Amino acid sequence: MDNNNILDFKDVTFAFEGKTPLFKGLSLSILKGAFYLVQGPSGAGKTTFLRLINRLEEPISGEIRFRDKPFESYSPPILRRSLLYIQQTPTMVDGSVEENLLLPFSFKKNLHLARPHREKLNNLLRDVFLHDVEMNDHAMNLSVGQIQRLCLIRGLLLSPEILLLDEPTSALDRKSAQAVMTLIERLNLESGLTILVVTHKTYGQGRVKPRYLRVGEGRIEESS
Amino acid sequence: MTHGIIEIGPYQLLLALVFVLAAGGASLYHGLGLEKDLLVGTIRTFAQLFLLGYVLKFVFRLDSVWLVLAVFLFMIVFAVRIIRSRIKEKQVSFFWPMLVSMTISYALVAFLITGVVIGANPWWKPQYFIPLAGMLIGNSMNAVAISLDRLLGELKKRRQEVEMMLCLGADYREASKDMVKNAMRAGMIPSINSMMAVGVVFIPGMMTGQILAGADPLIAIRYQILVMVMLVGSTAILSFLGVRIVCRLCFGPAQELLLRPEKNSRNR
Repeated sequence: MDNNNILDFKDVTFAFEGKTPLFKGLSLSILKGAFYLVQGPSGAGKTTFLRLINRLEEPISGEIRFRDKPFESYSPPILRRSLLYIQQTPTMVDGSVEENLLLPFSFKKNLHLARPHREKLNNLLRDVFLHDVEMNDHAMNLSVGQIQRLCLIRGLLLSPEILLLDEPTSALDRKSAQAVMTLIERLNLESGLTILVVTHKTYGQGRVKPRYLRVGEGRIEESS
Repeated sequence: MTHGIIEIGPYQLLLALVFVLAAGGASLYHGLGLEKDLLVGTIRTFAQLFLLGYVLKFVFRLDSVWLVLAVFLFMIVFAVRIIRSRIKEKQVSFFWPMLVSMTISYALVAFLITGVVIGANPWWKPQYFIPLAGMLIGNSMNAVAISLDRLLGELKKRRQEVEMMLCLGADYREASKDMVKNAMRAGMIPSINSMMAVGVVFIPGMMTGQILAGADPLIAIRYQILVMVMLVGSTAILSFLGVRIVCRLCFGPAQELLLRPEKNSRNR
């Protein structure tokens, strides 16, 4: 494998039980530090592709490798934390904004990670235009757009190696969507974070030159 | 045993059917459509209990440990089948793991009660072991069914939340902690409630039976206390074990949630 590859799909076939395969003999590589836009028609398998990377779905055959090691050689919680998937439907637990942001640090496998200070949390909130959100606010009272941004921040606090975003701006107005995309681009450019974004929206004049993954008819093809 | 007890003859049994006829009449009058179920239920009650009576008579007479254990296992197999049928969610198959864990835990509790607490000699003495095991299995079966139904329902309903936690580095136990807790509580509450109400709101069946058979009420209550305590204990153990086992079965080798939404409405 190429040393620049962070993820490799080798002959991966996936099917939902009792259905025809959604992906058949899928082979592709994800470059370290690259910024991918995953596009394709509805129902083509974009979300399933991200879920396969995060091991929320398991292929029926083939192999997926992360840093040239098979997925099975990693403990699932640690793998998921490193290949962080943020769901399309943003989800919070019943509690304050702060409790929700710090939720991952209560899990056994994350106990050794440094808990972020309030200042860092507040800075991140400002980065995504959540100036009006207080740490003590009840998360369930926030709008979908606000929760969507909080979910992104919560994921970033775990310092993932790959960020998998499923329609991260679907519930946002133009200004907030722009703020989120700017943050994502900055993470890619400044921290070299590998990012895969499923989006229906066209990518405007960003600072990053994205790579495109076209999903459809059981295949995923890279195009520029 | 007919000492001190008025025997019920076949005509008296038939007379009791008046109540079923009344229920059938009410169903017809209100258009409930329950007449067929009532008929089948009545026939099954008669058939199953008569059969049980003869089987118990045979088992008591033969006095064999193997036969007692066979009856015990038969009851457990049926209990697991009933639990399976009562649970709406069919995506997870748990027959064998539940059968093994239920057999082990029931055997342990039943042995403790008959052999150690009551001190029956031998511990499998059919007159004690079979009725007590039957009560144990019958009651905790309901609790396990309630617990499992609740667990599977919540895991499916709160799938997004479970997966969100998995994505953030939780293991399957952490991601399903809340649902496991709710399921266990749901299973435990009926037996705790019946401990609160026993003797005040209702006189339990076993005690009623003993009193009808001529036993001293003060002896009957001791048996009943034993049974109540045994039931709460076994319900707790079984709900705990069942919920844990089935919860693990809901997750795959990568700790991914296997329960799917009803229809393929999910984003792909």
